[in-house]
Amino acid sequence: MEPLTQNVTELEFSHGERVFIARTGAKNVVTMEGSVRGGWSTLPRSKAETACMAAELLDAGTLKKGKDAIREPLALRGASLSFSSGVDRTFFSGSCFPEDVSFLLSVVAECLAGASFPSAEIVRAKERALGEFAEAKTDTRRQAAGALSRLLYTSGHVNYAQTLETRAKGTRLVTRADLTSFRNTLGKDGLVLSIVGDVVPSEVHRNVERMLAKLPSKGIQDIPERHNAKVQHAEETFISIPDKANIDVYMGMSVPLTFESPEYLSFLTLGSMLGGRGLSTGHLMRTIRERDGYTYGIYSQPDGFTEHTHGMFRIWATFSPAIFEKAVAATKKEMSWFFKNGITEAALETKKDEMAGGYQVGLATTHGLASMLHKIGVEGKPLSYLDEYPSLIRTLSLKDVMNIVPLLPVSKLSLAAAGTKAV
Amino acid sequence: MSRTKVSPVPGFSFVREIGGITEYRFDKNGLRVLLVPDTSVPVVGCMVTYHVGSKNEATGYTGATHLLEHLMFKGSERFNKELGTSIEHLMESRGASINATTWFDRTNYYEVLPKDCLDLAIEIEADRMRTARILESDRQSEMPVVRNEFERGENLPMEALDKAMWAAAFTAHPYHHSTIGWRSDIEGVSIERLNQFYNDFYWPDNATATVAGHFDETKVLLKIKREFGKHTKKPDAYPMLYTTEPEQEGERRVTVERAGTDMVAIAHKIPEATHDDIPALIVLATILSDDKTSRLYKAFVDTAIATDASAQCWQFQDPSLFETFITLAPKTSHEKAEKLLKGEYQKVIDTSVSSAELKRAKQSLRAYTAAQRDGPYALLMSLNEDIATGDWARFVSLPEKIAAVTAADVRRVARTYFTDKTSTVGWFKNTAR
Repeated sequence: MEPLTQNVTELEFSHGERVFIARTGAKNVVTMEGSVRGGWSTLPRSKAETACMAAELLDAGTLKKGKDAIREPLALRGASLSFSSGVDRTFFSGSCFPEDVSFLLSVVAECLAGASFPSAEIVRAKERALGEFAEAKTDTRRQAAGALSRLLYTSGHVNYAQTLETRAKGTRLVTRADLTSFRNTLGKDGLVLSIVGDVVPSEVHRNVERMLAKLPSKGIQDIPERHNAKVQHAEETFISIPDKANIDVYMGMSVPLTFESPEYLSFLTLGSMLGGRGLSTGHLMRTIRERDGYTYGIYSQPDGFTEHTHGMFRIWATFSPAIFEKAVAATKKEMSWFFKNGITEAALETKKDEMAGGYQVGLATTHGLASMLHKIGVEGKPLSYLDEYPSLIRTLSLKDVMNIVPLLPVSKLSLAAAGTKAV
Repeated sequence: MSRTKVSPVPGFSFVREIGGITEYRFDKNGLRVLLVPDTSVPVVGCMVTYHVGSKNEATGYTGATHLLEHLMFKGSERFNKELGTSIEHLMESRGASINATTWFDRTNYYEVLPKDCLDLAIEIEADRMRTARILESDRQSEMPVVRNEFERGENLPMEALDKAMWAAAFTAHPYHHSTIGWRSDIEGVSIERLNQFYNDFYWPDNATATVAGHFDETKVLLKIKREFGKHTKKPDAYPMLYTTEPEQEGERRVTVERAGTDMVAIAHKIPEATHDDIPALIVLATILSDDKTSRLYKAFVDTAIATDASAQCWQFQDPSLFETFITLAPKTSHEKAEKLLKGEYQKVIDTSVSSAELKRAKQSLRAYTAAQRDGPYALLMSLNEDIATGDWARFVSLPEKIAAVTAADVRRVARTYFTDKTSTVGWFKNTAR
């Protein structure tokens, strides 16, 4: 296969920006994935909602333009742009026709550098956010996921999800000064941007330079090591929500690994062998779903692996209330069996084939390639990783994968579930 | 533009080539073949679409099409666990994205995979077309899986309200029940009924095989001929669906009361996907709810009256619905949201839409059309829905028709279809405050 990197250009800039431009065979489609440094972890915990609301309002008016003057020209070009907030970064995602790349980049720069947060917009954004928290109260999956994180982490850790009540309280306290102050921290330092599709790289290069010239330099704060001080032991919680036909269940534990850890790829591979989505190559799907019929889906979902951060191993499943206890017990039993007997050379080789092939399939869209390039940039990997990933998977040994098992003792697995228990 | 050519492989009749998609008919058994080459990616997708969906079900076996879809992965003559050739194992170990979906009018099975593996995907699809093993033991183990899929959907307020809306809007036509079916039918349908369903509908002359991505046309046709050529066309007639929905004679209302999120929805009857008014209705839906410049976003979300607003012009083989859903903010009453929503409809009827709105909607739909060809997966999923309408060429012709829609067209369809007499209003009332 031809190297994927042969169609990718990486641009180097002086403030640590990483920009990837990839011309693909897609016609009339350009996809953009980007982020700048600055997320809610840079704020005091009581002010964390500021970052979320800022992302929501970045396109709601700037120092030069009202929201309609920002949004309508985008729509008139068939372009889309959205912002979101993460732990350490503010993300943007967009798409446009090839002739509008320059325009889309200019809007991104204008919003990041000049969002003005009109007072009336803040009031309405708060009401919407409070409405969404109210909706989340009866969302079984969201409630279970949040509850598990609170079992696994100390309350000061970035992976400890605040309760909906705490978030609502924090949302009410956000001020325009907070938003402006947060926006003032967003600059081009550490920017990661991928632009993929029907592009002429030299033209896009010039467009990117113009965009970066509009973004200030703010410097980069080092992200500290974010280890989890909480000793892991099995805890369980059930959030009762009436009228629910299905129970969402998260089982998991914090692991002393970050995405920078040498063992990280082995960890992901083991998780996929146990909880991959495939009916054949995911052990829990093969047993708990296919053999026992206990669930529509049971998947491994590692989470919380931002920079220098101890993430979590998680299994997400859905069970009928009538078989909830039985299904949970069966899942734990299968996990124990798998860690003891299921990690074989044959299973590992099959998983490697699946991961390598699936990687190729996943990169066959502009969005797939743009996301992967953005991930490479955020994780500080060289562009060559784009081609190296399948061979890195291939070189994993059984021993590499087995070495992860001691990090995942089933006896210390915590569980959070939400729904209506069977009477 | 349509071109004429001759099939490179004897036994296939060239039908037409439109928009880079070539249609052949396999003379032996009537299988329709669509080929969509794209050598820019090292990936290929294979899909078989059957013209059978939940509209082919009736009371007692609602959800049967979907349950059968699950059982179609349990094995066929050549591909099964006993032989060590299960479909999942062979496909997943090659990194294939493999799945199937069922809806009102169709069921589709697909594999998107590295280009070197295409032959195997064609072999699998051909084999399970006529030799699938639909066994009681598999029904017993798979039924709770499907039931849990149903239960997941029941947890979601919008899905619960949507089911209630269709059930109220359609009293005779089988769009009345959702594709997942009623719980009691999922639990109770017999293996005999499922086998009958399979034997009624899973034949080459009721299917379309589509290959999209990186492939060689001659080699693919030869492979299709070898594998699907093992089957004959159906020896007897297909079951006819002759039920049409009686004219609606007044507004209908439904309420779902359970823990969830307050919502208001309104549905209006609209014609089938191939009707001339559908392009204007699609533009109308886009003007109403496409993005932050759309009318419903500005009226509901921008004002914090709601947290979400969406409009959908469904495009099915038979007459269906134009649906709008509003997710209410905590302080908004159902009455207020319903009144406001009806007011937004009336504005379009009274004063039409602006040229700027029309332009934005068309550009958005142009972008959507381009995205439909962004990789084999996107193409297959989009083309599949057009195949289901009975006219796959819509995939090419619909964008042209949308480009020709005028503001007057939008106003006319709003006036024609946004009538109380043919509407269904739904409220989801959260009981867990």
